[in-house]
Amino acid sequence: MGEKHVEVKHLSKHYPPDIKAVDDISFEIEKGRIFSMLGPNGAGKTTTVEILEGLRTPTAGEVFVLGEDILRGYSKIRSRVGTLPQNFEPFDMLKPWEAIQYWANLYDRRITKREINELLESVNLSDRKNLHSKKLSGGERRKLGIALSIVNNPELLFLDEPTTGLDPKARRDVWELIDSIRDRGTTIFLTTHYLDEAEKLADDVAIMHRGKIIAEGAPGELIERYGKGTSIVLENAGRTGLKMLMDMGIDAELDPINSNNVIVTVRKHSDMKSMMARLASSDIPVTDIYTMRENLEDVFLSLVGSKMEDGVLKQ
Amino acid sequence: MSQAMSRILSDTINFGKQYMRSKIGMFFAIILPILLILVFGAIFMKGGSSKITLYVQNLDDGSMGDQFIDAMNKTGIFEIRNIPRNESIERFIANHSLTVAVQIPENFTYDIGMKLALGLEGYVNVTVYGDPSKTTYNMVLGAAGAVAEGMNFALTGTQPVIGTTGKSITSAQKFNYMDFYLPGIIGMTVMINALYAMTGTCAEYKQRSYFKLLATTNIKKWEWLVSKFLFYTALLSFSLVLTYLVGRMAFDMQSVLTPMAFVLMAAGAFAFTALGMFVGILVKDPEGATAIANAIGFPMMFLSGSFFPIEIMPDYLQAVASVLPLTYLNSGLRDTMVYFNDASALVNLAIVIVCGVIFFLLASKYMSWKEK
Repeated sequence: MGEKHVEVKHLSKHYPPDIKAVDDISFEIEKGRIFSMLGPNGAGKTTTVEILEGLRTPTAGEVFVLGEDILRGYSKIRSRVGTLPQNFEPFDMLKPWEAIQYWANLYDRRITKREINELLESVNLSDRKNLHSKKLSGGERRKLGIALSIVNNPELLFLDEPTTGLDPKARRDVWELIDSIRDRGTTIFLTTHYLDEAEKLADDVAIMHRGKIIAEGAPGELIERYGKGTSIVLENAGRTGLKMLMDMGIDAELDPINSNNVIVTVRKHSDMKSMMARLASSDIPVTDIYTMRENLEDVFLSLVGSKMEDGVLKQ
Repeated sequence: MSQAMSRILSDTINFGKQYMRSKIGMFFAIILPILLILVFGAIFMKGGSSKITLYVQNLDDGSMGDQFIDAMNKTGIFEIRNIPRNESIERFIANHSLTVAVQIPENFTYDIGMKLALGLEGYVNVTVYGDPSKTTYNMVLGAAGAVAEGMNFALTGTQPVIGTTGKSITSAQKFNYMDFYLPGIIGMTVMINALYAMTGTCAEYKQRSYFKLLATTNIKKWEWLVSKFLFYTALLSFSLVLTYLVGRMAFDMQSVLTPMAFVLMAAGAFAFTALGMFVGILVKDPEGATAIANAIGFPMMFLSGSFFPIEIMPDYLQAVASVLPLTYLNSGLRDTMVYFNDASALVNLAIVIVCGVIFFLLASKYMSWKEK
C-alpha cells in the first residue's frame, strides 16, 4: 500500500431541513494516482471535493489531505494543493502569461519568464499567451485554468469537472494534459459525469449517487464485478446460429439492435479463450466474429438503473 | 518585501489591468467626470437659467423686510431663498460660493418708522453683498435700488428713507459656479467607481467562483480588500488631477487641488470600496449588483450635494443627506478646495474615515470566500 494523499472516513454533509448532500462516504487516494469521482449532477461530487479543498465544512466524518486534518491544518498544506473549480472561467482581461504570473504570486512563488513559457508550452497555449483570455476558446480557457491550478507545482490536484461543456476535440486535449500531469507524479482527484472520461483517465473510480458511494475500484474491476461480462458477436449467424449454439449448450441471444447477429456473453475474462476456441470449431455460418467489452456505462446502468447523459439521468 | 505585501501588490496590479482594460472602467473613472464637468460648465457658465437664485437674509422683525423681499420676488428676475438669521452672511456666501446676497438689517421697519415719524434725514439701507465684477451682483444692486425707490414712493411720496448699499466680498469674488461643482463631481466619481465597481466585482467573483479560487491560494481576505483600496486610490487620484485640469483650462476655475483634497479622496475611496464590498455580499449575480448599486448610489448622488447645495433641499431630505457618507466627502472637498478651510475639512475627513472603518469591518466580518 502506497502513501495516502487523501483519506476520507465517514464523511457527511447535511443541509437543513434534511438534505444529505454527502452521506457517510469513505475512500482513500494513493499518491500518484488519478481518482475519479463519477456521478450525475447533484450526486454530491462537488460538495465532496470542496470539503477536501477546505472550502466547505463537513457535518461529520474525518478528512485528511496530505496527512493533515483539513479542519485543523489546512493552511499548512494550501501551497501543496492545486484547484480547478467547476465551470472555471479565467479573468477576461488578463493575458494567459499575466494570469500565470499573478496566480504564482498569490502562492508566494517567484516565477521566471522561462517558467511561465514552459508552463504555457505544457498546456499548448504558447501561441495564445498574449491574447486577452476572453478571446480564448472554451478548451483553451479550461487549459489555462489547469495551468493556473498547477502553477504552484502541487502534489495533489483537484479537478472538478474539467471537461464539462467542451467539444470532443477539446475534451481529448484536456485528457492528454491530465495524463501528462499524472506522469509528473501528481495525485489527481477528478470529478466527472462523463463515463468515458473516468474510464480513460482514472486508476480508481468511485461511483457516487444520491450522496453515497455505490461502487468503488479500478475501472476494470468494476466492469468485471458489476458488468454482465464480455460479449462475442457472431455477425449474421441469425436464428440458425442461435439454435446451433443452444444445441452445443452455449447460452446465447439475438442482438436486440440487429437480430441477424447473435451474442454470446462470457462472464469471466479467463473463460474467453476457451469460448472463442469452441465457437471457432463450430460450423455456425457467420460473416465475422468480434468481441464487445462492457464499459463503465454498462456498470453505471446496472448499478443505478438509468443511463447518464451530460450529467443527467435518463430513464 | 514581505509575502503579504507582494501578494497585495500583485493583486493590485492585476486587478488594475483588468479594470483599465475594460471600457466600462475607463468610462466611469476618466471619461464620466470630464464629461460632467464639461456639461455642467456649458450649462452654468453660459447663463442657461432663466431666473437668478438670490439669497436674502432678513434680520428685521417687522413687516417692511418681508415687503421688500416680496417686491424683489415680484420683479420676476429672482428666485428668492432665505439665509438663516443666525448665520453670518459673509460666512454663508463663502461657504456656498455665492456671488451675491442681500441683507435686510435689524430694526428695518422700526428705523423706517422712526425716520418717517421724526422726519429724520438719511437712509435705512438694504445691503447687497457680493462680487462687483459679476453681472449678477450689479443686476441685484439695480433691482434692489428700484424696489427701494418704489417703496419710498409708496411710503412718503417724496422723502426717500430706504436706500441700498453694496458691500464687496473679496473672499468669494474669485469663484464661479464650476468651483462649486468640481468637488461634487470629484466626490461623485469616487463614489461611483468604488461603490459600483466593487459591488459588481464581488458579484462576478461569486458567480465565477473566483472567491473560492482565491481561498485556495495564500492571499488573505484583508489583503484582497487592501489591494482594491490601493488601486482605487491610485486610479481616482489620476482621475481627480485630470478632471481638475480640464475644469481649470475650460472654465477658469480658481479652486485649488490641495493635499487635503487627495487625503479626502483616498478616504472616500476607502469608504466606498468597503461599502461596495459589504453590499457585494448581498448580491449573487452582476444584474443584481447593478440594481442594488443603483438603489444606493443614485439617491446618494443627488442628495449629497454633488450637484446642488444641500441647504436648498427640504428639511426631511437634508436629514437623509446628513447620514450619507458622500455628503461629508463633498463637503470636505469644498472646504479645502474652495474655502481653504482645512479645519472644517478635517471634521468631514474624520466622518468619512469612520464610515469607511465601519464598512470595512462589516465587509471583513460578513464576506465569506467559502461555502457553508
